Formats: sequence, C-alpha cells, structure tokens
Amino acid sequence: MKELNPLLHSQLRLAVMSILMNVEEADFVYLKEKTESTAGNLSVQLDELSSAGYVAIEKGFIGKKTRTVCRVTDFGRKAFEEYVETLKEYLNL
Amino acid sequence: MEDKKITPQESMAIITKMIEDSKQRLATPDTRVSVMWATLSIVTAVLVWILCSVTNDSRYNFIWFSIPVIGLPLSFLMGRKSAKKRVRTYVEYVTDGIWRIVGYISIALIAICLIYDLFDYSNIWLAMFYFAFIVVGFAAAATGVVLKEKSYLFGGIFSTVAGLIISVSSLCGIPLLMSWVIPLYIFCFFVMFIVPSFIIRHKLKKTAE
Repeated sequence: MKELNPLLHSQLRLAVMSILMNVEEADFVYLKEKTESTAGNLSVQLDELSSAGYVAIEKGFIGKKTRTVCRVTDFGRKAFEEYVETLKEYLNL
Repeated sequence: MEDKKITPQESMAIITKMIEDSKQRLATPDTRVSVMWATLSIVTAVLVWILCSVTNDSRYNFIWFSIPVIGLPLSFLMGRKSAKKRVRTYVEYVTDGIWRIVGYISIALIAICLIYDLFDYSNIWLAMFYFAFIVVGFAAAATGVVLKEKSYLFGGIFSTVAGLIISVSSLCGIPLLMSWVIPLYIFCFFVMFIVPSFIIRHKLKKTAE
C-alpha cells in the first residue's frame, strides 16, 4: 500500500490543509482559532507547508495591523487529494 | 492541536471536523453592499420621479449623480470592513469579482457619457439607464447562479429583459416616459436586490434555529 504523505500526515498540518481546501483563503487568526493551536506552532507548520509549495502565504497590512493570509496552491490541492485517496485505501472506503 | 503523528482514522476525523467547522461560512453571503446600492438607487429614482413630475423641470435629473457620489465612497468603506474578514470562500471570491467588473464598467460608462456630453450629446446619459437594467441585471443573475439563489436569478433576468425592452423601445422611437420607465426601474432594483436579501436572511435565520 502507498505511504501516506508524511507532510500531511500530521494533526495540525492536516487540519490547516482541510480548512484551506474548503475556503478560498483564510487568515492566521482564523486558522489558529479553528485548529485551537498556539501561534508559534501554527507559524512553524505553515512555514513547512509553504516550503513544500502546498500553501501560499501573503503578508499584508490592514491599517496598522499585520495580516497573514493563507491559501492552498494547485500543487497543495493535488497533494491533498492524493492523500485522501490513499487514506481511503487504508480505511477500505 | 499539535504537530503529532496520527492514525488514518484520526486523519479522517480531522478532515471531517475541519470541513464541518468552516462550512458555515460557505452559506452566508453578505448582501449589505448590494442592499445599500439598491436602496440608494430606489430612493434616488423616487426623488427624481416626484420632483420632475411636480415641477416639470428636467434639471432634477442631475439627482441621478447622487448614486455614484454617495454609493462609491460608501461601497469603498463597506469593502474595507469586509477586507477585515478572516476567511473568504470561493463563492465570495467569484461574486466580488462579478461586482468589481460591474463597477469598472460603470466608471468607464460615466467617463464616456461625460466626454459625449462635452460635445452636446446630452441624451447619452440614457446609456446609464440601459446599464442599470441590463449589465446590473445580468450581474445579479450571475450572482444568483453562483449563490444558487433563485430569487437573485429571477430578479436579474427580469431586469435584463426589462432593459432589452427599453432599449428596443428606444430604437423604435417609442418615448421612454418617466411614468413607466422609473416605476419599472424601482421594481427591478427591488426584485433584484431587496427581495433576495430578505429571502437569504430568512433562510439563514431558519438554518440558525
């Protein structure tokens, strides 16, 4: 059986990718709230996803506040779909 | 949540939970901007209709300019507020795109009308009327398709067809009298934006219960 993509087979990274697959874009605060993670940990995991080319991160400003917006890339979308297909094989779905 | 290894069963549970948690946002279109434009258009039309009918002075048609003058800054302010939204769905991305295009077309048309007006073709301003019925109507119908909201779709199609009838009437030399064109304009904006907004709010309220 094919191995599950190790980059996605992690609780927090998988949660982030699942949210981003469902929406066009989400900001850091939203992801932190939905995944109930710490800012530091989320930041590290987002960097990993971004380095792999799965997530595009855009840093900007709203007024004086910084805002980090994340969206899944086409490459990330494909990787997630493949991950789900493999997962189905593991679960005999 | 942490960065820890998980079983395939846990993976599936995480995917399901995250999709469920972020699903709510997919079904909540923001109709405030469209309602603002519709209300402004309707109020302006009523004002022009009353003032022109009572005074027989066509100069009151200048009140139409209050639509972009008031609407554009308000729309910009409301847009800034929505930019603070923490999550944006594909549906919002598409509908925003549709209405941004309508906005660009309206600005281009205003510029064209101003240039023609400089050369004394003051009738050119009728083009704004065709725009309001046809382009806005088509955009409302497209929004209805994207949101899967039939009231938007029907309202938009009705307005587009009304716009085509007005255009054809104009081409045939049938006078576009205020007595039927302005009530039709008001009705179109009412069915295109106000009615769908009420229906969407009602549906959301029902879902929340």
